[in-house]
Amino acid sequence: MTEDGRYAAQVTVVKQECPDADEKEIEGEFKRYEVEFLIPPEDALRSVVRKFQTAAGMEVTKMSSPAKAEKKVNRFSELDADDRNVTLEVAVITYTPRIQMVRGEERQVAFGWIEDNPWENSDRRERWDYKDWGEQGENLAPGSVVRLEGASVNEWNDKRSLNINRTTRVTVLREGGSPVLQVNDEPVSIATASENEGYVNLVARLISSKPDVIVKRDGSGQLDVVRGRLSDSSGSIGFLSWVPLEHEPGTLLKIDGASVRKFRETPEINIGDRTRVEVYHDTAFASMEDLSQANKVSIAELRNGMRDIEITVQVESWNQRSFTSDDGTERVVRSGDVIDPSGLCRLTAWCEVDPKPGDFLHLTGSRVQYWQGSPDLVVDDAAQVTDLSDPPWDSIDPEQHWVDADLTTVVSGGSRRGISTSGTVVAVRRDSGIIERCPECRRVLRDGACIDHGPQRGVEDLRLRFVIDDGISNASLLLSKDPSETFLGMDQEAVKEQVAKDGQEGFVASLRERVLARRMSVKGRSIIDDQGAMVLADEVELDQTASTDAANEVMQRWGVIL
Amino acid sequence: MQEPTRRFTRQTAVRIFAQEYQEASLLEEGSGEYDPSFVITKLGAKINRALVCGVIDRMERREGDSGPNYSGHVRDPTGSYLFTVASFQPEMHPDFEELMARFESGDRFLLALVGKARWFETDDGGVFTSLRAEEFTVIDRECYTSWLVGTAEATLRRIDAHSASLESDLTPAALEAAGVPSDLVDGLILARGHYGEFDPENYRLGVLQALSMATGRTAVMEESEPAVPPPTLDEAVSHTQEPQPSPSDPPGDALPLILDTIRSQDAGEGVEYGNVVHALVQSGHSRESAEDAIDDARDQGEVMEPRFGYFQIVPE
Repeated sequence: MTEDGRYAAQVTVVKQECPDADEKEIEGEFKRYEVEFLIPPEDALRSVVRKFQTAAGMEVTKMSSPAKAEKKVNRFSELDADDRNVTLEVAVITYTPRIQMVRGEERQVAFGWIEDNPWENSDRRERWDYKDWGEQGENLAPGSVVRLEGASVNEWNDKRSLNINRTTRVTVLREGGSPVLQVNDEPVSIATASENEGYVNLVARLISSKPDVIVKRDGSGQLDVVRGRLSDSSGSIGFLSWVPLEHEPGTLLKIDGASVRKFRETPEINIGDRTRVEVYHDTAFASMEDLSQANKVSIAELRNGMRDIEITVQVESWNQRSFTSDDGTERVVRSGDVIDPSGLCRLTAWCEVDPKPGDFLHLTGSRVQYWQGSPDLVVDDAAQVTDLSDPPWDSIDPEQHWVDADLTTVVSGGSRRGISTSGTVVAVRRDSGIIERCPECRRVLRDGACIDHGPQRGVEDLRLRFVIDDGISNASLLLSKDPSETFLGMDQEAVKEQVAKDGQEGFVASLRERVLARRMSVKGRSIIDDQGAMVLADEVELDQTASTDAANEVMQRWGVIL
Repeated sequence: MQEPTRRFTRQTAVRIFAQEYQEASLLEEGSGEYDPSFVITKLGAKINRALVCGVIDRMERREGDSGPNYSGHVRDPTGSYLFTVASFQPEMHPDFEELMARFESGDRFLLALVGKARWFETDDGGVFTSLRAEEFTVIDRECYTSWLVGTAEATLRRIDAHSASLESDLTPAALEAAGVPSDLVDGLILARGHYGEFDPENYRLGVLQALSMATGRTAVMEESEPAVPPPTLDEAVSHTQEPQPSPSDPPGDALPLILDTIRSQDAGEGVEYGNVVHALVQSGHSRESAEDAIDDARDQGEVMEPRFGYFQIVPE
């Protein structure tokens, strides 16, 4: 609380109004307001100015009041250091109350973390500290999403935080989920730890660990970190340690007070200076051999952000191209489609690997990143790749490789290519049909204008949008031009003519009559994110199974006799 | 491509027969600003959205303060669903008007409807469930029978889960261990805590009727003689027949009861529709015949509806 410059911004304002006042005294006054009266410096400003004006015998002036207009933002980055009446929606990550005695009275303040952009994945959010001066704990449960109206920005040492004041209105938009795990709790399994973000205690075996560096984005240097994997019998999870971790792989560790954070879509254990790591002894704990299977995955299990995984794939195609990188050097990247019995994905190699289609490769230490919404396997070093002479499965015919997955499997899994699924159409989006795209970025124009490029002469395109649903799960279904034309049995021009003749409503109504409540089989790829699931179709078909046959199947499955 | 307002994942459309939906009286309203609400059935289905199909049966327009709104009934083998189109859904008004014109000319047809769960509660705690339409279209017989099969299976799955829950502790872990599918766990815990004992056989009967319609074995339906005979498909797609009055309806019985109910409960403001229906249901009428009887009473000038949903005795 006594850091230099803690109140610099406010002191400057007071100095403008009262040039003769002593800076130390001003700081002392702000500190007193904050510590004793629990009034944050920005709210104390007026009182402090008045005090020094009175002390100096000046006429108490009305200070030019700072703009109090409400400022509505979506991201912390849109805030300025002196914003006072801020409205935004945030996710509450932690809430740590403290009781302070103020003039004989117990008062509660609280500290914690909040994140902006609360409806997105945590890797697309920014995290700030906040202080609750207004005893709003009831509405700030960790895990909840709240709207703050009338919060204010606080800045010191170039670090900004948010003050939630007594007058701030806190509206709970989504109740907190499972409460954040307490530091004092018993250790949890890795499977449990992976489900929530927050603090955890673990007992896990160190599977791998290697030093790494993180280059700070602002160019101010780099940090030494340690990355690796931890496993127990429930699963395996990557870790990132901000402090040295010198244990050998194979060591069983008790880790207290680590935090689980999501990197892209993959949970990761963060070990910091407040985490306690010690060697643990339990002869019954799963051995290194037992656990080494844990990071073997199949293509269907790939998630954005995974690291250090082991996988076997069959190469379907392989290309290479060279380009000049930013620093002027010539680089070569190789890539191709690879398959396994669970699906299809792309493999990118930043090293010399030249397999032929049909070869089987065993990859270790590979990582996953997203390319156009689908997970992509990446290897950086040829030593990670072994060409298998002994194929693990009969060669798969890539032309026929559609992996059946029911809608629930698709929706609850990660983004995948090469899937075949089905569901009943329960919605036909009213913007199905002819649309206009921005010639610059292909985004759909709204009222003839692109959100980024302004008014444009649009390029016409055809697409159909449905929702498919199997009674347990549902997904958006998008048909781009080619599959739409095939499904409708007419080309884009013919659709345009029909829309011109029947109107957009008429076109959608005829489409609805054709597909609503009907079962549709879809081949294509899935994109899964926080917004739900979307299937991009290569091919769709209405199910032609006769009801009599379907009914007989149901009766057989459930042992029903009429 | 995602709509920016779509912050929560979409609720799945539950396949459900009318009887199970009608008999539900447990409601769960979300606590957060955007949390979804649910009707929870005796078998533990948590319904925020449903996909239903059936024969169109009654269509009405009402003029409200904020424009016209519509209601209709869709009847399946087990009963009927009330559905509505609100005045704030103008994009659906032309479609409804078009269907209503067909309906009023005596045409009957099969309708598929996706709707959001809605309800109203009467003063004495009765709950009437309905669906606010999101999408509807006329369908053919094959589409209807395939819905019957899908919904029969969904209902069997719930009956099965319900019976598994009877042997199990009512905790998520115990239910999953007993084989209850994870999408039914929540709803079953709530349903078992709310509803008393009941015989799921009633719901199985609906399943059998649906399956026999789908396989063309209509004979079974005639033998089972349900209180309200389900419309046969031929009746559904034939273009002329008016809905038959239910033969099990005690004729003439309903009107005195309607009059009595209104006379005894009217404190000057009229008696709410739901209360009248409730009184009739209590004395053994089916909900359908009750609604028909009230409509008849109004149409024949026995009672009046000075304000939508409130009934009074016609002054002499």
